[in-house]
Amino acid sequence: MKSLFLKTTIILFIIFFLVGCQEKRKNENINNNQLVYASTKDIRNINPHLYAGEMSAQNMVFESLVINTKDGIKPNLAERWEISNKGKKYTFYLRKDVFFSDGTIFDANIAKKNIDAVLSNRARHAWLELVNEIDATKVIAPYILEITLKNPYYPTLIEFAMTRPFRFISSKCFINNETKNGISCYSGTGPWILKEHKKNAYALFVRNSNYWANKPKLEKVKFRVIPDHQAILLALEKNEVDLIFGADGDMIDLNAFSMLEKENKYATLLSDPVASRAILLNTKQPITKDLKVREALQYAINKQAIVKGILNGSESIAHSLFAPTTAYSNIQLDAKKYNPLKAKEILDEAGWKLNNNELIRTKNNKKLVLRLYFNANNAQEKTISEYIQSNLKDIGIDLKIIGEEKQSFLDRQKSGDFDLQYSLSWGVPYDPQSYISSWRMAAHGDYQAQLGLSKKAWLDKQIKAVLIEPNKTTREKMYTQLLEYIHKQSVYIPLSYSRTKAVFNTRVKGVTFNLSQYEIPFEKMHIDNKR
Amino acid sequence: MKRLIFKRLLLLIPLVLGVSLICFTLINLNPSNPAEVTLRVNNITPTNEAILEMQKELGLDKPLYQRYIYWLKDILKADFGNSYETKEPVLNEILQAFPTTLYLTFCSLFLIITVGFSIGVICAIYEGHWIDRTLRIFTFVCTSVPSFWFALLLIWLFSIKFDLLPTGGLEDINSIILPSITLAISYIGTFIRIMRNSLVQIKQSLFISYAKARGLKKHVILKHQIRNALQPFIIALNMSIPRLLAGTVIVENIFGLPGVGRLCIQAIFNRDYPMIQAYILFMAVLFILFNLFADIWVQIRDPRLRRCQ
Repeated sequence: MKSLFLKTTIILFIIFFLVGCQEKRKNENINNNQLVYASTKDIRNINPHLYAGEMSAQNMVFESLVINTKDGIKPNLAERWEISNKGKKYTFYLRKDVFFSDGTIFDANIAKKNIDAVLSNRARHAWLELVNEIDATKVIAPYILEITLKNPYYPTLIEFAMTRPFRFISSKCFINNETKNGISCYSGTGPWILKEHKKNAYALFVRNSNYWANKPKLEKVKFRVIPDHQAILLALEKNEVDLIFGADGDMIDLNAFSMLEKENKYATLLSDPVASRAILLNTKQPITKDLKVREALQYAINKQAIVKGILNGSESIAHSLFAPTTAYSNIQLDAKKYNPLKAKEILDEAGWKLNNNELIRTKNNKKLVLRLYFNANNAQEKTISEYIQSNLKDIGIDLKIIGEEKQSFLDRQKSGDFDLQYSLSWGVPYDPQSYISSWRMAAHGDYQAQLGLSKKAWLDKQIKAVLIEPNKTTREKMYTQLLEYIHKQSVYIPLSYSRTKAVFNTRVKGVTFNLSQYEIPFEKMHIDNKR
Repeated sequence: MKRLIFKRLLLLIPLVLGVSLICFTLINLNPSNPAEVTLRVNNITPTNEAILEMQKELGLDKPLYQRYIYWLKDILKADFGNSYETKEPVLNEILQAFPTTLYLTFCSLFLIITVGFSIGVICAIYEGHWIDRTLRIFTFVCTSVPSFWFALLLIWLFSIKFDLLPTGGLEDINSIILPSITLAISYIGTFIRIMRNSLVQIKQSLFISYAKARGLKKHVILKHQIRNALQPFIIALNMSIPRLLAGTVIVENIFGLPGVGRLCIQAIFNRDYPMIQAYILFMAVLFILFNLFADIWVQIRDPRLRRCQ
């Protein structure tokens, strides 16, 4: 019997040795100028005029007229632009040296055709006010495009620069002169061409050799689909993956990020604050409709402990809904800092008393019980919710925390059936204008949570007005009024400002962040094998 | 026998209809509005206008029974509808992903048969010996280890520590080794037990005592034992094939394999109802067919059962 075991062991070792040799030979053949990016999701359909695909992949292939940068809007496919007729007319002067990857010339005709294709699908783009504001598109000359708006909509250029839907695809890919029901190919003007796509396995992008601007230094970028977070980390450790990139724990959670940072084997980067992590308080529910209760909750949560203990200090504490670095948000608002004594006092004033030997406050024989809902698939949200639960217990509030599957969580947002709900803003460049614009839509939790405000009608009107206010100073004032009102009414408990995280192999250089947390600037990266 | 097979085949029709009805009704009883879900999975804000338009597009404005009848009619034409998420025909998506799952299942099945059978036989030969006891501990561990943990352990050991195999994907032939071992491991334990117990039971049969009395050689007696012990092994194997096909979700997720399990889990997260319905129906039909096959096979092998019928 012993010999049988010995034989089996030897055979197994031979198999693994042979397999291993083969694997090593393969590793030697790996293209040194290829970057492998680990993605939990497939790129799916990257039609630039729809929303089903990965934004980072759409951004690689399709380009916009202008781009959002830290220093403001910069030219891209449009060399320059003029704004006339009191902010209602935008004339774009397009570059003359741009071709789609299938050889088609990019000119004003194709630009108009793309914008019209987006406009013909208005219902799908209702979240973006610009789609509703565009009145007409006109080709003035082969490389001059004119867009007329109904109102002087100030975020026009910002929204033209977004990753979708105003990006350009070759007319050869249109089906029946439209894109809303699908496209036949993915020819864009961007620095990358999608060469191969095996659904749910990988997508291979190659450098666009005819790119009009600086060509990427990398030859190829491979999106490798690995749905399991732990498996991504193991693949990184084996050098099968070069880059992990993302925000809000969707790609890498903060524990893993901190662990890798300490290991010192990989390079790590954190972006500037990009979005706001907050708790939404429903002003229409029986208990939280009381402003005093909402105020007390603001003082009851120890944000510092959340940021330090749960988020490992990688995010900054938030005292207002938007970070002061967000446009129109650098305003003086009272910081409602952790003060459980003050929270207790406010609750006493509101009539919620803590009777002797009782742990939960009561008012008219009703217990102070609240419900906080979060996405059960997000481990970070669960831990934060548990911590908030313990904070509220200290001041005599029984917080029921309920993790729900994402779809149920979204259904609940729409129905408004929650006292507290976990909330994330969309980040720059969508904050503040697009995010605030969505507060007017019934399908959003924000809308439902604000319904109990005495000035909700004013708020919605103010949002509509601020988006089409041509005067910047007036606009600033309007934003200040709007954000002050929301702050005073304690609709949100701001927790922290989230950041995009990148962990990468040290052979990858030039890793940086775009303004949008959803884009990955692969064209700025390169591989240094000499390290 | 022919009559029996015909009868069993006829029974398939009400069974499949019943499964389809339950699966369609249960999924449609879900409180989420499919039109809204479709908009959301496509990252479109579900405004009232968009919801109404989508409801029309998906045919959700019709009553439930009508939708069920249309669905059944379409299935007969091999049309399972379009995915809410990708807008692609569901059947195409399943057929695209199925070869990966089939490949994984086939490799796992190979491991289950070879390892499960041989260790089962070894255990029976050395019944009560330390070798038998050690291997039984191994089977106990095999069946109780959670597969996600085992998968990560294998990756860590063979991909990172020894640098022998890739961590995942399906780009070269080696990639299938670790997922197959992970998927097979819990089944291997069960099949070792089945084979061992059958052999041990048969060892005490009269015909074995007779064979011994005739002075037959050990390996000839073992051959007789194995031939008789194969029946429960094969029946269990038959029922394991659809279970294996349906149970690839965790393995496909961890190893990043683009199979049907992944498709199903994505469909569940996105509430992609046509995909979920097709998947459930597909799996139910597989279970029914394999069950039928096992039944017929047993009755062919054992005339006593036919007489009972």
